[in-house]
Amino acid sequence: MEKVLDKKSFPQWVTKLSSYKVYAPVQEDEAWNYEVITNPEKVNLDFPNTVLSPKKIIFPQREVYLEFSSSDEDGLELKEVLPEEEPSVIFGVRPCDARALALTDKVFSGDFEDIYYWKRRNQVALVGLACSVPPSPNCFCLSVDGSPFSTEGLDILMSDLDSKYFVEVFSKKGEQLINAAKTLFKPATEKDKKELEKNRTEAKKRISRQIQNIKKIPPVLKGMFDSPFWDEESMSCLRCGICTYLCPTCHCFDINDEVLSSSPLKGRRIRTWDNCQFPDFTMHSSGHNPRPDKASRLRQRIMHKFQYFVDRYKNYQCTGCGRCISRCPVGIDIIEVLDKVSSYEG
Amino acid sequence: MVNLEDLKKEAKAVLEEGKVKYIIGYEKSANGLMPVPGFIKSPEEVEKLIWTPACVYNLTKFLVDEKRRKSREKKPDERPVGLVVKGCDSRALIVLLQEKFINRDDVFIIGVSCEETGVIDEKKFLKKLKGKKAEKIEFDEKDNFMVTTQEGKVKVAASEVLAERCLECKANSPLIYDVILGEKVKRSMDNPFQSLEKLESLSEEERWKFWKEQLSKCIRCYACRSVCPMCYCDECVADTINFAVTADTTAEEKAQKIKWLEKSPVKSENFVYHLVRAIHLAGRCIDCGECERVCPLDIPIRFLNKKLEKDAKELFDYEAGFDPEQASLVSSFKDEDPEDFIR
Repeated sequence: MEKVLDKKSFPQWVTKLSSYKVYAPVQEDEAWNYEVITNPEKVNLDFPNTVLSPKKIIFPQREVYLEFSSSDEDGLELKEVLPEEEPSVIFGVRPCDARALALTDKVFSGDFEDIYYWKRRNQVALVGLACSVPPSPNCFCLSVDGSPFSTEGLDILMSDLDSKYFVEVFSKKGEQLINAAKTLFKPATEKDKKELEKNRTEAKKRISRQIQNIKKIPPVLKGMFDSPFWDEESMSCLRCGICTYLCPTCHCFDINDEVLSSSPLKGRRIRTWDNCQFPDFTMHSSGHNPRPDKASRLRQRIMHKFQYFVDRYKNYQCTGCGRCISRCPVGIDIIEVLDKVSSYEG
Repeated sequence: MVNLEDLKKEAKAVLEEGKVKYIIGYEKSANGLMPVPGFIKSPEEVEKLIWTPACVYNLTKFLVDEKRRKSREKKPDERPVGLVVKGCDSRALIVLLQEKFINRDDVFIIGVSCEETGVIDEKKFLKKLKGKKAEKIEFDEKDNFMVTTQEGKVKVAASEVLAERCLECKANSPLIYDVILGEKVKRSMDNPFQSLEKLESLSEEERWKFWKEQLSKCIRCYACRSVCPMCYCDECVADTINFAVTADTTAEEKAQKIKWLEKSPVKSENFVYHLVRAIHLAGRCIDCGECERVCPLDIPIRFLNKKLEKDAKELFDYEAGFDPEQASLVSSFKDEDPEDFIR
């Protein structure tokens, strides 16, 4: 389905979605993030890359699995806690971040369906915004099979055509959102489509950063596990968790019991994001750590994204959003690292 | 003004003489205006060195890495490492010397003076350029930076784009060094605690609200801890399991390890983390501002350290990072120390 929506009508559309929990990018101080919207007039779709991707809504940094307490008969009473099922919609999803969710879908399905993830995922409609101008100087989606107007993972994609949005709908969830405010949408004309094509050609040209020889990277990485390359490349790494926590595709988590009271016993089991750049990520209880230094952790980050994930799911586990580059405190640049990998001669 | 060629010459000389293992300095990045930390191992590589107002990093942090690396080597190279330091960084070095974390012989200090300006705040700078892409930024005359954009050169008043901490600088040129580049001149714009005035004027409730909102944003990436040269503990309360566990640690010892804070990034746990971090820096923080610079959520954590710095100054007349022989704040006691805040 292809429609156009007058930009001035956009707040009206959002108003009509009152039965949904609506998220959109919001600016606080200098930083943009997806937050729940109460005033549709305030939604501003002219925004740079958000600090965190919509991952934080579907796969929140912390969630409760179950609550436990001691019962009368000296046993434990367990109560499962499942995410609330609320129909939600996220506006302004960048195509790279939507692709990232499509990749994470693969991880949380298959042999074991992660109900915590899917309860939220199934309730959320993703309304994308094509990037006519790259939202970050470090965007490189074209290098990792993406594009500024990729539709993968999205229910709707909106593209900016000056005074209006070109609106493409790809799913039932998307159709429902359009049907909530049917009269606001007009059929797209041939002229609109032509303009869209022109914009897309321009948009592609505006992405200045790219990985050389990406195809070579997975096979070359296979021979680099023991290479001193990783020591060199990680010299300036500080061992913080920015690159991974901000990554829209990173999905590792940890499970801990948080005891609220020891007598009578009361507490909860929680899941939080975990981070392969932290020392305790691979720490064994014996005291042995198979990834004892930052070199082995940088290697893990690169290998997971560009070898292990490719072997398993036939996709790079990176969608080119550029967050890890822009936010690295010491300027470690994944594009540079990968370019060195592809020209590596052990 | 610091002449880059002189810096390269000094670096080259010590590398050629074999006086240092390698030099930690600033290097041009392949992409963008901000430099990257550079590790210069041979005389030929000194050409990579740069010195610009974008050289914000406090490179003393890498001495912590170097010490760890050395401790793992069977036959370590005992030569010092060369380290490029600004005035503020040299104060961090002094604290590390004072705490005997490093020895003076372990480091060859190449001091660079910020003279009458300092380094930029990248966010302020980008705002000032209003979307224009800067290709180069250089020190100009005493109050200005020269910025080269695609549309030509523009002069930018340093005071408008300087990092907040530079506006409250206490040492614009290195206090300790083996060689120094640039002039040791007095700056005029320093007002040590001006940034605190606004927060201090708020009521207790307002401040509580402010910190509740700010610290609730924290995602516990620990970048503020990771970048801090003073955060060198082998064991950190923030990690669920830590380096101090070895093959010899008994099960009982492990079971008795106190869990100070949970991994949940919620208000209570975030407060524990940030307050532990701040308290551990009392009388040690030299305000390099790196913790705040690296925060991806823009939490103004520097205020916490700054307030403690002010307390140390006002209550105990103590300032960190000026004298390596000075007894540290928390390990010294004087009869006249105030105690009216103990209740």
